[in-house]
Amino acid sequence: MLDALARAALDSPLNQWIQATYWLWPILEIIHFVGLTLLLGGLLIIDLRIAGHFRRLNPLAIHGLLPLVLAGFSLNLVTGVLFFIGDPMRYSINIGFQVKMGLIFLAGLNALLYYWKVAPLVPRLAAGDGSPMLARLVAYASLALWAGVLLSGRLIPYVGTG
Amino acid sequence: MFAWLETTPIAMWVGLSLWAYPMLLAAHIVGLAIVVGIFAMRDLRLLGLFPALDPAAFLAPGRLAWIGFIVNAVSGILLFTSQAVTFVNNTPFLIKIMAILTGMALAGVIQSRLRRLVTAVSNSGNVLVPAQIEGTTRAVAAASLGCWLTAIIAGRLIAYF
Repeated sequence: MLDALARAALDSPLNQWIQATYWLWPILEIIHFVGLTLLLGGLLIIDLRIAGHFRRLNPLAIHGLLPLVLAGFSLNLVTGVLFFIGDPMRYSINIGFQVKMGLIFLAGLNALLYYWKVAPLVPRLAAGDGSPMLARLVAYASLALWAGVLLSGRLIPYVGTG
Repeated sequence: MFAWLETTPIAMWVGLSLWAYPMLLAAHIVGLAIVVGIFAMRDLRLLGLFPALDPAAFLAPGRLAWIGFIVNAVSGILLFTSQAVTFVNNTPFLIKIMAILTGMALAGVIQSRLRRLVTAVSNSGNVLVPAQIEGTTRAVAAASLGCWLTAIIAGRLIAYF
């Protein structure tokens, strides 16, 4: 699938524009890093509270951070798609990129599990309360998956093809 | 001195080992997410976002951010040793270091102000409302946010200068 996407992107007008615009790549990188701090910063606080840490934080109020998490994800989705279109043959065959995409997919499934099973429990929790086992598992899975996304993404320039 | 630093065994290991440099970069980005992520959420709360959250509750995540800072100080110093001469002559690198030192100093100021808020609130028995965040604390939070944004921008630009 990545292969077909890469071939579609190659030599497209957008691909040529990104390649020809020398200042664009560092700007996209900066936005991608700002996005990751919003995404990870928000998730760290939400997930650690849902996992039972930082109990002074009201668990329901913590959902107020979600718009920022989604904003960070959106920034990184847009800049990430532009990276891929700008240099499709580099990313599509890179094992770090493939692992990163797989982990983002799993993190998405884990987020669905959160909405389906954990979020309905949150209004019953008050500041100071601990969390049920399922909530702790989903929260730690979220942190582990996103840490994996960071690591596999950072290693893209250093790993081979897969 | 920086040329000598590059010849030390630790710098040679970072520069020559196949995995040392990428593994240190990997640790550095996890640390970045912890430090800047948590401090950005704290600063945005002090600037008035997510009013339902108790700002004093950011004291505990603040301590986690300091652990992230230690991870990044260690990984950053090790990365630095391998190309010390290049880094000290790189303007974005110097701007990044200044921004981080300022951001950490401001984090110390904010932590002590949050601690004072906690004490004041527990003494009076009142629920904390956003109005109780002083204007000067907001200004410090805005400056802190600016420092971390500068550190990210300058850090990304190191490779381009």
